[in-house]
Amino acid sequence: MVTKTEENQLNRLESQVDNAGGGAWEYLCLVRKLKLRRSDKVLKHGLSILNNPSKRSALGPEEWTLYEQVAVAAMDCQSLDVAKDCIKVLRKKFPDSKRVGRLEALLLEAKGSWELADKAYSSLLEDNPLDQTIHKRRVAMAKAQGNIPGAIEWLNKYLEIFMADHDAWRELAEIYVSLQMYKQAAFCYEELILSQPTVPLYHLAYADVLYTLGGLENLQTAKKYYTSTIDLTGGKNTRALFGVCLCTSAITQVTKGKSKEEKEGSQVQSLAAKVLEKDYKQRAPDKLPQLTTALKSLTLSS
Amino acid sequence: MGSSSGDLRYELSQNAYIKLVLHSLNHPTSSVNGVLIGRISPSNDAVLIDDAVPLFHSHLGLLPQLEISLMLIEEYFSAKGLNIVGYFHANERSDDYELGGVAKNIGDHICRYFPQAAILLLDNKKLEALKKSKDRSAVTQVSSLYVRDASKNWKLVQSEGNSRFSLREPSANLILLDYISTEKWKGIVDFDDHLDDISKDWLNPGLFN
Repeated sequence: MVTKTEENQLNRLESQVDNAGGGAWEYLCLVRKLKLRRSDKVLKHGLSILNNPSKRSALGPEEWTLYEQVAVAAMDCQSLDVAKDCIKVLRKKFPDSKRVGRLEALLLEAKGSWELADKAYSSLLEDNPLDQTIHKRRVAMAKAQGNIPGAIEWLNKYLEIFMADHDAWRELAEIYVSLQMYKQAAFCYEELILSQPTVPLYHLAYADVLYTLGGLENLQTAKKYYTSTIDLTGGKNTRALFGVCLCTSAITQVTKGKSKEEKEGSQVQSLAAKVLEKDYKQRAPDKLPQLTTALKSLTLSS
Repeated sequence: MGSSSGDLRYELSQNAYIKLVLHSLNHPTSSVNGVLIGRISPSNDAVLIDDAVPLFHSHLGLLPQLEISLMLIEEYFSAKGLNIVGYFHANERSDDYELGGVAKNIGDHICRYFPQAAILLLDNKKLEALKKSKDRSAVTQVSSLYVRDASKNWKLVQSEGNSRFSLREPSANLILLDYISTEKWKGIVDFDDHLDDISKDWLNPGLFN
C-alpha cells in the first residue's frame, strides 16, 4: 500500500519525467520500490536510459536491475521484441541465473505459450520449491487463461504455505467478490484483520462484504466494522461514513417494530451524516443537494 | 406504456460513448462499470442514452458503494428529467466476452426502476480493431448490447446489419480516436475516485472542452 506522501512524490516525478525534465532513474527506482504497475512509462523512460550508452554505464551494477525492470514492463505492454532483447543481455551476463530463468518463463507467458511456461516454472520450482514469485505466476497464469476456479485452487494452496502473504489474501478476496462468493471473501478479510488489526482498509472491505451478504447479524457486524474504520481513520473515510448510514437504515428495515437499539443506532448515523454534510459543503458543494436528499431518505427509513 | 424491449431501438450519444470507453482505457488491468443516463424518445420507439457516469474500477461486486452511487446519481439526473436507463461493463480480461453474474445482477436491479434498461458490454476485439484501422468514419461502436427477454434473461442483440443499436452522432469514433491518441482517458473521474476524494467530480464537467 502506498502512502499519500509517496503518491504525491510519484506523481511529481512522473510529470517531471514526462515533460523531459529529467529524473527518470529516480522515477524508475520509486516505481520499483513501491511495486507499482506503470508499465508504459517504465518502458518509455527505461528504454531511453538503456539506449543511451553513457547513461547506461553511469548506472554501474544497477544496469542489470534496469534491464530486468524494462523487460517486465515490455512484456506487460506486449513489446515482446524489447523484452527478448533485454533478457538476452541478462542471460549473457548471468548464464546460470535462476532469476533470468524466471524472466524467460515470464516471456513464454506473455506470448501465451501456457504449457511451455508451465513446464519452465515446474522445473524452476524443483530447484527452488519455496520461490514465492513462481507460485504466484501459476495463479496468474490460471487467471489469464480464464480458469478462475484453478486460480482459486492454486492461490489457496499457496496460502497454506505462505499464510502471512497479505497481498495474496487480498487477491483471493477480490477474486471471490468478483464471483459473488461473499462468505469466502469475508473469511479472507477476517484473516487479514486478525494479522493486521490496525489497517483500516481491511475493516472497510470486511464491512462492505458483510453488508453485501445481508441479514441482520451481518448488518450489525458490518456497522461495527464501519465504525472501527471511522475510528482508525479519524473520521475521514467517506466510504465508512456512508456505510454507517446504509447499515443503520438497512437494520431498521429488517427489524421493523422490534426496536431495541434504535436510539443508539440513529445517534451514530446522524453523527456520520453530519460529518458527511460538512465535508461535502467544504469540498464538493455542488454535490451537497443530492447528498442531503439521499441521507434524508436513509434516515427517514430508520 | 411504450413498446416492449423486443422492439425498442437504443441510441448512444457521443458523450456517453466516449466517457465509457475512456474509463475502460484508464483502468486497463481491471474490470470497470458505469451507468447509462437517458430517457425514452418522444416517439416511444427508442431509448436515448444521453450521458453516462463511470462507476468503479475495483470490487464491482460489492453493494454499499453501488447503492450510494445509484442514489446520488438518480437524485442528480431526475431533477433534469433523466433516468438511469442502463449499465455498462468492461471485463478484466481482454478475451472475456461473457456477461458475468455481477453485471446481470446490477442490470436486473436497474430494470426494476426502468424496465427497458440495457446492458452494454465492451468488446475489446472491436476496440483494438478500431484503434488499428483508424477508420474515422466507422459507425460500428465497440460495445455489445444486451436486453432482457420475456423470461427476464439477458440476451445479446445482434447489432451488425440492423439499426437496433446505433451511435447518435456519426463523428463519435472520430472524436474517440482523437481522444485516445491524446491520452484523454487520464482525466476521467469515476465514482471510486469520488469516494476516495469527494472533491473529484464524477460528472467530468471539463472532459469535452
